[in-house]
Amino acid sequence: MADFDAIVVGSGMSGGWSAKELCERGLKVLVLERGNEIVPERDYVDQMPPWEQSNLDRISEDEIARHYYKQFPGVSYAVKESNKHFWVKDDEHPYETSPGTEYDWLRGYHTAGRSIMWSRQTYRLGPQDFEANKIEGIAVDWPVRNEDIAPWYDHVEKFAGIAGNRDGLPQLPDGQFQPGFELTCAEKEFKSRVEAAFPGRNVIQARVAHITAVTEEQRALGRSNCQSRNRCHFGCTFKAYFSSLNATLPAAERTGNYTIVHNAIVQSLQYDGESNRVVGVRVIDAETMETRSYSCRVLFLNASAMASAMILLQSKSTKYPNGLANSSDQVGRNLMDHVSGAGASGLISGFENKTVFGRRPGGIYIPRYANITEHDKPYIRGFGFQGNATPLGNAGGQIAGIGRAFKESHGAAGPWRVSISAFGEQLPNPNNTVTLHPSKRDKWGNPLAVFNVGYGENERIMQAEAGKDAVAMLEAAGCTEISSRPVNLTKPGNRIHEMGSARMGRDAATSVLNGWCQAHDVPNLFITDGAFMTSSACQNPSLSYMAFSARAAHYAVDLLAQGAI
Amino acid sequence: MKTRREVLQGLIVSIGGASMLAACGNAARVAVSESQSLRFFSDQELALVSRISDLLLPRTDTPGALDVNVPRFIDGLMAEWANAASKESQHRQLMDLGQMLGDDFLTIAHADAENALRELDRAAFSGNSGYGGYRALKGLITQSYFATEDGALLEQHWVAVPGRWDPCVDI
Repeated sequence: MADFDAIVVGSGMSGGWSAKELCERGLKVLVLERGNEIVPERDYVDQMPPWEQSNLDRISEDEIARHYYKQFPGVSYAVKESNKHFWVKDDEHPYETSPGTEYDWLRGYHTAGRSIMWSRQTYRLGPQDFEANKIEGIAVDWPVRNEDIAPWYDHVEKFAGIAGNRDGLPQLPDGQFQPGFELTCAEKEFKSRVEAAFPGRNVIQARVAHITAVTEEQRALGRSNCQSRNRCHFGCTFKAYFSSLNATLPAAERTGNYTIVHNAIVQSLQYDGESNRVVGVRVIDAETMETRSYSCRVLFLNASAMASAMILLQSKSTKYPNGLANSSDQVGRNLMDHVSGAGASGLISGFENKTVFGRRPGGIYIPRYANITEHDKPYIRGFGFQGNATPLGNAGGQIAGIGRAFKESHGAAGPWRVSISAFGEQLPNPNNTVTLHPSKRDKWGNPLAVFNVGYGENERIMQAEAGKDAVAMLEAAGCTEISSRPVNLTKPGNRIHEMGSARMGRDAATSVLNGWCQAHDVPNLFITDGAFMTSSACQNPSLSYMAFSARAAHYAVDLLAQGAI
Repeated sequence: MKTRREVLQGLIVSIGGASMLAACGNAARVAVSESQSLRFFSDQELALVSRISDLLLPRTDTPGALDVNVPRFIDGLMAEWANAASKESQHRQLMDLGQMLGDDFLTIAHADAENALRELDRAAFSGNSGYGGYRALKGLITQSYFATEDGALLEQHWVAVPGRWDPCVDI
């Protein structure tokens, strides 16, 4: 008799969904979280007003050099003195990169993982994203098509709460939206000028995982409407944005089937060669260093694309000497993120006597048009732009002027600034890898990760072109003082969209998972974090992790019921 | 004849001192005690930062930068937040800034100092290089001011919980 029906490794974006769906289907579920417990009432700091923050909420530079030398440069906009407990200390969680390469591994080890700190942009993949690999002969074909996953996107959107507009764009399918955050007057003008100048391009509301018309189901979990504070990186007392902690974990808990254990770092999965099943998990306690095991009938890896691959690589057996479920040798390969670097900003006139009220947690989005509506590109795939148009105000002191006029410029008539930044698709490449360091271990005895990730020509050419497109759109919109930054590609990992390390595919010889996120090699093993992504598309991927997790959980429960696993 | 040090101390009191705070009636909201000794700035640097803060964000119908003790706040921030390299760079930038504004910037009449700073500000925001130190200080003074309770609530009308998003309202 197993300790639990199911074990879910990781409590973040995807693990929360696996736990919720498995619990709601009646399984006794154990969630293993490697980090500490976050209690919203104690640990969220979103209610702190500016004057209670110390030193403008800046972490001291010496402390950054000691503890946050990767995290802070990677996401300085989100890592602050008051919320630094949401980010790992780099000196406690080191990793390495191959010579000549760089990698930003930006992490949060605690209840709900990075779902607490994400930026909440939420998009479906489109039909083209599931077909591109096959059509272009790149990597392997997704074993899934849009129609397979669309009902599951519906399922997770209704529960999570996604604010957005129904735009009717085939490449970015609409979903089960709550009312979106309306565009500013300058954004509406920008939209109309860009769409007139570039038929086939669209400027739409960013779709974000925020409740704007709370449902009974959401209210029952203690969630309420977004209050337009834009304090999301500090937690949300209103539980208005989606996170595991605000939504899926409480839903799992109320079933009575849910157990979570914190500070439980997985060392390896226990495999029984005779039955060809995962039978349990070996963990080490992060604080006491005690090791112990838990047994289960089915196992979901949701530790993050990188950590899930590393757990498989650490789980060696006679049958799988190169890591569990790794007969294809694809575990830890094909790492993908999104690539940025291109963008532009400029001033837009005509709205000097207007301003905004409230602090919107989103902005505008320009969905992919490259190789969708425009086919003249020197690269394949494409990118979307995220951005906004807002009053310049006093711009943190970076505008001309002194005295009363300067002091009152925050609310005075003045220019608005438009700003857009590209998020591009990264092609899968088997040589972009995470591997285990042959000798170096962390303080819990687990091998350090070694990243070897680089961009290809397609990504470089695409971003250079995206930079030109950004300027051209701002020019077409009549912007002045356009500044386009030099296109320096973001470091791999920096967009924190980790994908691909145990890809799905139709053939067990060339992929780790089948179309249900089930390991080809080991039928009671499922991986539903970003590891399963066969290609990265250019859309922010969290919604896809949610939908594939929910779908896989139901499939696994069906298989258990049939006695098939 | 007063020594230079005495002139500076007098200036600190006259533009950032207790009498002004008392006149403003907001002493209770000041985060940093005036009697606290400086932790980063020299007396001369404090006088320079105080004069610039006062000219950038003067008292109007809401408290000014000196009323809410912005220079002392920055003194603490530089002591606690900055590393050795940033501290050295800030000292150097203040020295350069003092030279750009002239030896008499601290002692000339308010209107003359205002003209001198306006000219410098105009040059700094006209695409010229060489004004990074001034722009950084202006940013720090501005951000510090709006991060105070009076700056946020009385001047900026910052609302903790807006409750709604209105994308286009008349000023």
